[in-house]
Amino acid sequence: MTEITEQNEVSEKFVPKPSLPPPPNTTGAIGWLRYNLFDGFLSSCLTVLSLIAIGFMCVNFYEWAFAKAVLEAANRQECRITPTEFGTCWAGVKFWFTRFIYGRYTDTEIWRVNSAAIILILWMIPVWLPRVTAKLNIALSGVLIFPFLAGYMFLGGDRNWFMEIMVSVALGCFLTAIIHSLLCLFTGAGISKWIIQLTGFSNRSERLHKFPVIVFAVIIFLLSLFLISDVTFKEMPNNLWGGLFLTLVISGIGIASALPAGILLALGRRSKMTVIRVLCVAFIELFRSVPLITILFMATTMFPLFLPEGFHINKLASAIVAVCLFAAAYMAEVVRGGLQAIPKGQYEAAEAVGLTYWQSMGFIVMPQALKYMIPNIVSNFMGLFKDTTLVSIIGLYDLLGMINAVSQDPSWIGLHHEPLFTAAVIFFIGCFAMSKYSQYLERNLGAGNGR
Amino acid sequence: MSGNTPSSSGGVNAIINDERYRSIFYQVVVFGLFIWAVLSLIENTQINMATRKMAVGFDFLKNTAGFAVAWTPLDYKPSDSYLMVYWVGIINTLILAGISIVLATFLGFIVGILRLSKNWLVAQIASWYVEVLRNTPLLLQIIFWYLGAFANLPRPKQSIEILGFESLVLNNRGLYIPKPQPEDLFWLTAVALVVAVFIAIALNKRAARKQQQTGKYISTLVPTLLIVFGLPSVAFILTGMPLEWELPALKGFNYRGGGFVLPAMLAVMVALVVYHSAYAAEMVRAGILSVSKGQTEAASSLGLKQSFVMRLVIIPQAMRAIVPPMISLWMNVVKNSSLAIAIGFPDLVSVFMQTSLNQSGHAVEIVALVMAFYMTVSLTISACLNVYNKKIQLTER
Repeated sequence: MTEITEQNEVSEKFVPKPSLPPPPNTTGAIGWLRYNLFDGFLSSCLTVLSLIAIGFMCVNFYEWAFAKAVLEAANRQECRITPTEFGTCWAGVKFWFTRFIYGRYTDTEIWRVNSAAIILILWMIPVWLPRVTAKLNIALSGVLIFPFLAGYMFLGGDRNWFMEIMVSVALGCFLTAIIHSLLCLFTGAGISKWIIQLTGFSNRSERLHKFPVIVFAVIIFLLSLFLISDVTFKEMPNNLWGGLFLTLVISGIGIASALPAGILLALGRRSKMTVIRVLCVAFIELFRSVPLITILFMATTMFPLFLPEGFHINKLASAIVAVCLFAAAYMAEVVRGGLQAIPKGQYEAAEAVGLTYWQSMGFIVMPQALKYMIPNIVSNFMGLFKDTTLVSIIGLYDLLGMINAVSQDPSWIGLHHEPLFTAAVIFFIGCFAMSKYSQYLERNLGAGNGR
Repeated sequence: MSGNTPSSSGGVNAIINDERYRSIFYQVVVFGLFIWAVLSLIENTQINMATRKMAVGFDFLKNTAGFAVAWTPLDYKPSDSYLMVYWVGIINTLILAGISIVLATFLGFIVGILRLSKNWLVAQIASWYVEVLRNTPLLLQIIFWYLGAFANLPRPKQSIEILGFESLVLNNRGLYIPKPQPEDLFWLTAVALVVAVFIAIALNKRAARKQQQTGKYISTLVPTLLIVFGLPSVAFILTGMPLEWELPALKGFNYRGGGFVLPAMLAVMVALVVYHSAYAAEMVRAGILSVSKGQTEAASSLGLKQSFVMRLVIIPQAMRAIVPPMISLWMNVVKNSSLAIAIGFPDLVSVFMQTSLNQSGHAVEIVALVMAFYMTVSLTISACLNVYNKKIQLTER
């Protein structure tokens, strides 16, 4: 026994030496460099080559963009830095920048485009604020009704009775959405609760609660009707639209219509009804197998033939229809992919609890499928945004069309590279932001699936 | 109330409540609407074409086209018919797309593997390459390559001689290359090549069978290369080298003779290759990452060499994830080659859908023909994809 206790005492007294620090060249900055950049001969060679390539590119880019930059010039001839050599004519980009963004839209009316954009942003911001309720209603009203308001603001001119109603409905919805969001943010209760509270209906039965809300909606509508009754904008025919503004209008309409149309087509493609399935498959396959440019050519040459006598369709409208058809076909395949990812049990369970087809799709299948689809939907939107540049080939003045037109302007002839670079930067920022946002959404929405 | 039960057939209620009848009812309605829409479109088109005095029918294809095409490998003259223009367009589109597909796939594999490199800098460069190219429009890239590089080439007198060859020159008229002119006995070399390929395939199959039976691995790389390159070379030398090269040479203000490629074609090709290589790279990366790490570890623990792990375990499994999207990428290359129209390369859309359509005014027929071509290509490619999917499904558990 004593031996054992003695041994125990010895082991208790054992104090290990502190462990040695790792070798100095495996930790910190040096370790990182060794591991990531100079890990063996091949890796070192690649690193050196890459550094040379980066250095070469940086020097060339600096020389082009900064060293040779000409910032002040009234025409392209003044952009020469030597009698024979042109500098990098940023002055040209500065001179034409408004045109690149708004096309040939009259300067004094540009505020209309800007304010429509601001209205859309204000309308959509609440969707991202966690405290705001009824986000779906806000988002849907924004997507479905805003186009009428924006359309009138862009186009101007006289309103017929239909536009009169739609514009005031849109304005009413916008005002309601803003008041609702502000109330949610500062008081924590939405607009309908406030209306019910203030009118004293909160003590009555819940069936009656909708009446004050309806009355409020009518008041708001009449108010907007009154507000816009004296306001008319100068007419800006759509051949004046152009630049980034036109790109955004076309791709915006394409994106907004693609999702609902794509969902319907995808459901049709999976339908049990033969006629509907065949028609949907034919539509999807036709528009997916041909290039967008042929659809655009088809639209400009054949749509005018399709219309009954007395109807005319302008180039912009045919291009928008073509883009919508194209986008819907692609979106349908994305949605189909999402629907196929939902296990069959979900469909059967929805049917088993007695939901109708549309209920089971709307409440059970689609919400789950949309989550799977988000990365593909966003990359589809990006693709559409990029593909919209093709309308310049059929002669619309979108961003690329404007750049092309500027390069043929007599006093700026040959100004290509700088505007193209600017456009590339604009597109890159837009698409890169979209793709990063989709990755963020994917992570956040996928949180529930993690184990 | 009995009329509301699903079992009762007939009556108006059955259409609303019985699923079978309801489905038939919907289909009849949709079909009716579709037929009505098609008929009214046809009627409108007929009326509109009549008022604009446009003729209908494919007879115009026999008419003389009367315009020159800037580049085509076919023997085309302006006095040829519109049908010939259609073929010229198809051939140009297929050549442009075919070369771009091969190069884009190759470049995509390299960039995709570089993105997975352990070297941080290389991986970063590859990932920025992909990001920049995927986030800017292809049309902008095509115009950029054309105006930035290929439209500023020197005049023929100051041509750039590539690698110092006098007969491989680049100038603002295009890229001039020596053109092979096979002589009488050249067919023997071609036959030798075909025979050599068959022998090589047989050799590889035999080696694989041996490995199945005995487990012994025989490397067939060297013999395969020897046969495929050796046999045709021997045939070529024995028949007295029956191949002449027609060299381009500067005559007057331009090069004559040899083959040549338009600067616009080079620009479109470079843009198509670079743009789609970024997408291909992402597919390759995703494919390799989709093979679980356990596979690498299991293969290593069986004692396979590192190169075998990659070749026999990782790549075959990655291919299953890479090939289907890659094939639809190839389809996209074919479709996107139509953007060549923006810088004036005479592809199908440019010569047929623009020039011929503007000249002849036969919009409906020309649109139908162009779409028929693209749909044929698309259906062929998806048929290949289906065959491939069937094949790899068999090897799954």
